[in-house]
Amino acid sequence: MMARYVVRLRQDVERWTKAGLIDRLTAAKLVADAERRDRNSFGSGTVLAMMATLLLGAAILIFVAANWEAFPRLLRVAVLFALIIGGYVGGAVLKSRDHDAFGEAAWIVAAAAFGASMALIGQMYHMSGDESAAMLTWCAATAVAALVLRSGPLTVAAVGIADAWLAGSLLGGLRTLSNLETPLLFLPIAAALFAISYWTRSQAARHLILLSLVAYVTWLAADGDAFEVGFLMACVSAGIFAVAHIAPRETDNIVRINGRLPLHALIAFLVAMALIQVELEGGPGFIIAAAVTLAGIVAALLLQGPQSRGLRGLAYLAFAIELCLIYGITMGTMLGTAGFFLFAAVLLGILAALIIRLEGRMGRSQAERSGA
Amino acid sequence: MNNGKKLVLSALLLALVQVGFLGWMIVGRAAVLRDGREVLLKVEPVDPRDLLRGDYVILNYDISRLPLSMIADIGEVRHDLVPTHSVTVRLRREEDGYWRAGGAWLKTPPNPAGADEVDIVGQVPSLNLAHVDGEVRVTYGIERFYVPEGEGRAIERDMRVRPFGVRAAVSSSGTAQVKALMDGENMLFEEPLY
Repeated sequence: MMARYVVRLRQDVERWTKAGLIDRLTAAKLVADAERRDRNSFGSGTVLAMMATLLLGAAILIFVAANWEAFPRLLRVAVLFALIIGGYVGGAVLKSRDHDAFGEAAWIVAAAAFGASMALIGQMYHMSGDESAAMLTWCAATAVAALVLRSGPLTVAAVGIADAWLAGSLLGGLRTLSNLETPLLFLPIAAALFAISYWTRSQAARHLILLSLVAYVTWLAADGDAFEVGFLMACVSAGIFAVAHIAPRETDNIVRINGRLPLHALIAFLVAMALIQVELEGGPGFIIAAAVTLAGIVAALLLQGPQSRGLRGLAYLAFAIELCLIYGITMGTMLGTAGFFLFAAVLLGILAALIIRLEGRMGRSQAERSGA
Repeated sequence: MNNGKKLVLSALLLALVQVGFLGWMIVGRAAVLRDGREVLLKVEPVDPRDLLRGDYVILNYDISRLPLSMIADIGEVRHDLVPTHSVTVRLRREEDGYWRAGGAWLKTPPNPAGADEVDIVGQVPSLNLAHVDGEVRVTYGIERFYVPEGEGRAIERDMRVRPFGVRAAVSSSGTAQVKALMDGENMLFEEPLY
């Protein structure tokens, strides 16, 4: 993504120099700066290295799970222990020699080997008890590793394990012997990992934690009183959106997710409103909920649309889905297929007009800002 | 360079602590196998749908279901809803060689186990006493036996026609550990210490 940005910037800079907007020296400086930042960023090489790592980690886990009888199990334990030590130490050596991506990858392999060792020990001694505690131990070990090595990817991995644990305990697939290990335990775990992510400078981990919290609350709502929890969730997310809009710099100084808090708030709001609408379907309250949803989407677009492309995309998509939903529930019975096409055409027209207006406004406000 | 050295050192320390933790788990389990009192438990046939998942056999024992009346201090629990709780079950050796439950306590037993008795610690799930019809399910952490891939089905079949047993080691603190799976008198699998 960043590499594409550099290519585009180079073309722009060339155009600007030709037009006499900037001199050659400034042009060279601008391109050099963008290229330097590009090298430090999360490029496609890192992504590939991480994918390779995940495959290797999965291979290790499956390798143990297959109850591989060909080698004595003490040898298997030794192999896994060697992977843990080799992964952590080798990763540190690679990292200190500026091979960041491979260093982080080696650490992920070591963390996977720890999980595999737990599974193997359980298998060696036919332990049937506490899967929940085993996963939490794995999560803790990975979090400690992230803390000690100051590693972003390990932080994300710890969040991933915590998510898997949460999914397991919500779906009831995890055996546990303890009263403490209810899904509610996810909240302090998420808080701890959020705190760790500041030290490890892992924005991705914070995004994942926020999304996980939305998913958890959604489960709570779907499992219990959808209207009540959904209502609360919509109010809280609208509140967070408002705070993030009024004081963008201050809130981002706290959560540090590159100004994307409004996007998370909008996701939570939309999920909450979807829950409420499903709950109210068929009743008179539905149309009010639908109107609130549309108003929320438009408000989000007007307030935050100019700043965030991701938020615009999400809002357009949600707007289209919402209109289809309203059509399906309220008018689907009254109109036939031809009516639907007419409706769809009008709808797309309205959507297009709205988007064009909005982009026009954005263009103007940006021009004003750069003119000032 | 100094920074790099520090990172490598802390990585080494981290790896050693984590491996040490895993090693401690292994040594603890091996100690139960080596030092624990040995008991023979009777395995009961399980509902075949639940029997085999992946490559382990689910084991159900005759001590997995206990009459509520056997728990001596159940009356001392005031609440209707007992949360997940550990339970100490006193096993006695009977004439056929199998060990069976003779008594059980939610708290520490009032008197220590005799010479031919062993205390094993299990867990009872949270239960509403008002809705329990006389029996309670106890798990001991030995309800699983990993077998070489593909051998589970045959064991599943045999288990329903012949009596099976498990030789388990019980540590002084009551932790149980599967030692061997018995097909009647024949030993099917025996576990080494490590």
